[in-house]
Amino acid sequence: MSDKVKVTIDGITVEVAPGTSILNAARQIGGDIVPPAMCYYSKLEGSGGKCRTCIVKVSKGSEKDPRPMPKLVASCRTTVMDGMEVQNITSPEVIEARSGVVEMLLINHPLDCPVCDQAGECDLQNLGYEHGLQKTRYEFERRTFDRIDIGDKIQLHMNRCILCYRCVFTADQITNKRVHGILNRGDHSEISTYILAAVDNDFSGNVIDVCPVGALTDKTFRFRNRVWFTKPIDAHRDCPTCSGKVTLWYKGDDVLRVTARKDIYGEVEEFICNTCRFDKKKTSDWVIEHPTHISDASVIASNHYETLKPLPVIQNNPQLQQANKVELEKTAKF
Amino acid sequence: MGRKLLLEHINVPGINTLDVYRQNGGYRAVEKALKNLTPDEVVEEVKKSGLRGRGGAGFPTGMKWSFLAKPEGVARYMVCNADESEPGTFKDRYLMTHIPHALIEGMIISSFALGASTSYIYVRGEMMPQIRILERAIAEAKNAGFLGKNILGTGYDLELYVQPGGGAYICGEETALLESLEGKRGNPRIKPPFPAIAGLYGCPTVVNNVESIAAVVPIINDGGEEYAKIGIGRSTGTKLISASGNLVRPGVYEIELGLPVEEFIYSDEWCGGIANGKRLKATVAGGSSVPVLPANLTLKLANGEPRLMSYESLSEGGFATGTMLGSGGFIAFDEDQCIVRNTWNFSRFYHHESCGQCSPCREGTGWMEKVLHRLEYGHGKMSDIDLLVNVAKNIEGNTICPLGDAAAWPVASAIRHFRDEFEWHVNEPAKALKTNYGLANYAEPIAKAEVTTGN
Repeated sequence: MSDKVKVTIDGITVEVAPGTSILNAARQIGGDIVPPAMCYYSKLEGSGGKCRTCIVKVSKGSEKDPRPMPKLVASCRTTVMDGMEVQNITSPEVIEARSGVVEMLLINHPLDCPVCDQAGECDLQNLGYEHGLQKTRYEFERRTFDRIDIGDKIQLHMNRCILCYRCVFTADQITNKRVHGILNRGDHSEISTYILAAVDNDFSGNVIDVCPVGALTDKTFRFRNRVWFTKPIDAHRDCPTCSGKVTLWYKGDDVLRVTARKDIYGEVEEFICNTCRFDKKKTSDWVIEHPTHISDASVIASNHYETLKPLPVIQNNPQLQQANKVELEKTAKF
Repeated sequence: MGRKLLLEHINVPGINTLDVYRQNGGYRAVEKALKNLTPDEVVEEVKKSGLRGRGGAGFPTGMKWSFLAKPEGVARYMVCNADESEPGTFKDRYLMTHIPHALIEGMIISSFALGASTSYIYVRGEMMPQIRILERAIAEAKNAGFLGKNILGTGYDLELYVQPGGGAYICGEETALLESLEGKRGNPRIKPPFPAIAGLYGCPTVVNNVESIAAVVPIINDGGEEYAKIGIGRSTGTKLISASGNLVRPGVYEIELGLPVEEFIYSDEWCGGIANGKRLKATVAGGSSVPVLPANLTLKLANGEPRLMSYESLSEGGFATGTMLGSGGFIAFDEDQCIVRNTWNFSRFYHHESCGQCSPCREGTGWMEKVLHRLEYGHGKMSDIDLLVNVAKNIEGNTICPLGDAAAWPVASAIRHFRDEFEWHVNEPAKALKTNYGLANYAEPIAKAEVTTGN
């Protein structure tokens, strides 16, 4: 028996380690067939299964038991079996159910993107753009909460929260003292701290990065700028508490904010400490590496001329073309 | 008169005490199981009996027990789900109030069969009197040597605890119950792993309903095969039905599965018909979560045969013309009841009780409640009806636990069968506030109703 299992997602077969979730198997394939995930976070244990946007159809359970699964399953929490066949974007049923979920996520969301700091890098915005309806069918008052400050650096704007529980897991797992969690039940449940206790520890700022929407925002950056006007640059510093690997967001010569580096699924690569995030906002604090690669699909990529046209001098010179092969192939992709 | 197994001695004075319970044959089954049978033989008897979970899903209990993982050196737990909170269901409370020892005896046998040495009865917080009754009964049983160390000299140890819950409906879902029992927020877990593999404190656990556990006692006393003779088809044994609504004699009844629904409602032996000489309009056959059925489909199947009180017969015809036995909360509505209002009321309940963990249920239950409220109070639009169907469809099957389904089914079925009443609420809003739609054609013979029920 081999130690790899075969799984087919939307007709593409991949071999993955046993125990991998369908979502992670899809991420190994990459591209459009990766289900969107609002609550799952690979770095946080126990996350996932809540938002239901990653639902997929399992049309064949496994080689041993080929029966399809009766319901759509959350791909982030369903492990693959050998011979499993999964339909994501090839199944109209999945697309329909997912747009239903997106609608549910949006009915109580304030849709205040024009004044929201997360706009431009918001998972919910992207999801709504891809799957959502043009018009809402919800005609009632949306639920509202008061904004609260948790600590002097983080603001919680509960109206925008989609209750993904990511920040709860973050606070629970990467910091040693848990002071915030979920209060109440049902659609009036809210993320909060115990009697307005401040979240105060070295890594609390990471809840801002894991938040898929604009519910948790950086008070040192609030209303300073739109993210698509800023230029992200990867940089590092010698930090005694964390890895010190960050992304700096520049406007002109100023560092407006510091975040952890994120991968293509919007998950941070390494959590960073509050000193790096909130206090080191001078270029001289950092060793600059290179501009951060931003997906062309993102609004932040506008005005980033990454898809370079070869200069006239290169176009005529095969040697230079050879030397710049990698960059030119990137261009040819588009 | 049907055979009674659980409620046989319910009218004996003092049956809630150990002495009287023993005089009426109580704890015979414990002696038989512990002294004469091996744990596997007990599981085998329960399998033979065909007993199906009485909490709502109807999963065979013996099968559930045999799925329990038995790794070496890991504790196993037996948990009794007494968090009965379904609107329309009150059988477990009745059983615990009047014959607490039936549950405790069942717990001892089940725990023995599963090799659990610590067992819990998780009781809903509102049932404080029942918690006291159970605690007193446990103390009595312990004094008599049926609990504690070395029960009846067989070397088997069992500690039984009663744990009050906080009163949330969601804690009746088995994984939410386990979370709550561990002292956490009562959110359902994501399955797999199932509790039989990793349940309470990560150990293999079986969670059973009060009635399922109590039913183990007659199974051990009379043998599984004898028990399987009662009932019909794969619905074996007796079932407690909590009858409520506009009935002459509502209450808890023990029926043999397979009793015709018509007989159950109208026979003087059971509910005695509809109160105040009115006519039956609709029923909810198994607690608020199951689809509501109009009178004609309640009494007869779509093909004209009489409908029986059994797992199969009630679900005959799928959701188009059938319903489910569920937890046995039988609610009858007479001709003066408003289905729209009732549906709104149910959906208000699910909105309140949704745990808020997964988005379709958290947002969808509130949305349905608001739309139904609007319809009931005369501000509805014709498009609301299709909107409700669509929202219910988006919730159903897309949630972590069955609460989403339970919230969607009553709404979807009410519109499926009573769409003209909903339309009437939209068309005649002023009238709908003062009077109600009445019986309409809901009690007419099936052939005619077929047109309105097609979906």
